[in-house]
Amino acid sequence: MKTTTLIAAAAATVLTLGGVSACGSSSSDSGSGSGGTVASGLIFGGPAEFKTRTDGIPGLQKTYGVKFAKYTVTDTGGPVTVGALKRGQIDAADLFTTDPSIEANDFVVLEDPKSNFKAQNIVPIINKTKATDGTKQVLNAIQAKLTTDGLGALLDKIQNDKEDPDAVAKEWLDDQDLDGAGTLAKGVSLTVGSANFPENVVLADIYADALSNQGATVTKKLNIGSREKYYPALKSGSLDLFPEYTGTILAYLDATSTVSTPDDVYAALAKALPANLVALDKADAEDSDAVVVTKQTAEKYDLKSIADLARTAK
Amino acid sequence: MIGSVLGWLLDPEHWRSTPFDTGIWAQLGAHVGFTLIALAIAVLLALPAGLVIGHTGRGSWLVSAANAVRALPTVGVLVLLVVVISPHFYGRTNAGFLIPTEIVLVVLAVPPILSNAYAGVQNVPPQVRDAAFGMGMTGPQVLGRVELPNALPLIFSGFRSAMLQVIATATIASYVTLGGLGRFIYDGLAQKDYPQMIGGAVLVAALALISDLLVALVQRYAVSRGVSRRFRTDTGPDSRTAVLVEEDVR
Repeated sequence: MKTTTLIAAAAATVLTLGGVSACGSSSSDSGSGSGGTVASGLIFGGPAEFKTRTDGIPGLQKTYGVKFAKYTVTDTGGPVTVGALKRGQIDAADLFTTDPSIEANDFVVLEDPKSNFKAQNIVPIINKTKATDGTKQVLNAIQAKLTTDGLGALLDKIQNDKEDPDAVAKEWLDDQDLDGAGTLAKGVSLTVGSANFPENVVLADIYADALSNQGATVTKKLNIGSREKYYPALKSGSLDLFPEYTGTILAYLDATSTVSTPDDVYAALAKALPANLVALDKADAEDSDAVVVTKQTAEKYDLKSIADLARTAK
Repeated sequence: MIGSVLGWLLDPEHWRSTPFDTGIWAQLGAHVGFTLIALAIAVLLALPAGLVIGHTGRGSWLVSAANAVRALPTVGVLVLLVVVISPHFYGRTNAGFLIPTEIVLVVLAVPPILSNAYAGVQNVPPQVRDAAFGMGMTGPQVLGRVELPNALPLIFSGFRSAMLQVIATATIASYVTLGGLGRFIYDGLAQKDYPQMIGGAVLVAALALISDLLVALVQRYAVSRGVSRRFRTDTGPDSRTAVLVEEDVR
């Protein structure tokens, strides 16, 4: 008697299976069809914060009038987003411009002519007490040589060829003639930190290796995690040097900031940083957000720029 | 902080779904859905197995094996399964993420249900079992009419601990793009919207408590009063009561 009730309950619950698979965070094809824009038939995938960030979904809507049918939270430019885009769970995604999987999968990066996305130049944030003329000279020399494509190539070695980030960093310094031994940073003792994604780790390795070549005593604390974890450590002085991105660190310090060009963002960042931290030169290398679609989607709707998403669908 | 969490929870906008945003009701439904699917599968697998193992006394290694599986790190297994399973699904489907999530939740739910069903049947007093056989009952009859009712309190407690664990852990569905109440916790953290994050956590806790209360109610009416010893002592000179009172004193 008891078993029958249990089985009945179980059977009833199994029936809900169909309902649940439909009410996860992405729903069936809604909104497409006549009259709608291209975007209103597409599902967008990206990290959770992209949904509310000023240059995220609200920015796309404000700047380009682009409104997607649905937002699926995937991950921050990682394998989940790439996989979901590749297999059609999502149609457009937020990926990073240095991501080697864009090229590997023939994804199309949509142009951003109205600079919706904040500039994301790579910039070392350093504690003022450690920013001697020598360390500045060493780090700014690196900054001058960092390019977006160059960084993409380093990432490709780490992510696809599974090379050790530190070895890749040393190799790059050697290629750029930046690995010379010297005494520029002699007597400086500092702790270099990094967030937990390969690009940030390799940048921290590059800074750390160059500084120790120049006589500094360097401690590495890599793969720390999210900004919520490492920024307080940087501010309190338990970390001295951190590779950052001008746009995201500015947004973290001042969520209301609306500037987006590289120079404006860099200038606003200098103002927003607390008194004990200083931003060194920004690099040309940028790892910014980008709206990415598959080649098939781009061809189907003839997409080149984000603005094309707001056109009326045929 | 408490005020802003309450504010988040009480805002009707957060409960409704829009085409773009999934509200609390829908995510609650998804969360309950994940939980029910996992529990249904776990009960179908573990309850019969536990009863049979307890009845026959054979295969008790299976209970130990299931308990050993508890040591697996849930998120690790989930990510591994997603990597293995999701590449096989194309198009607008969540199956590539839903199946791994349900597997992980079933793996969590099976051990308490299995070991409690086993222990419940094992711990039926041998006199009771012998008496049932002595009355001419067959093995399955003894299992179904004597051992199962006697084991019910333990079976329920196994089910309840499985349910609590599944409700709490179903939040990881959101780690792999799915919905559920975990969505608010992960999104709140990512968006630095801490009232949303804490609100999500409060909802999970509330769901766990309410569900446990409901099952406790079911248990109260499903378990024989003789077994649960929940009866009035002044029922009068009834032979059945008398025996039970004696047991109670012992």
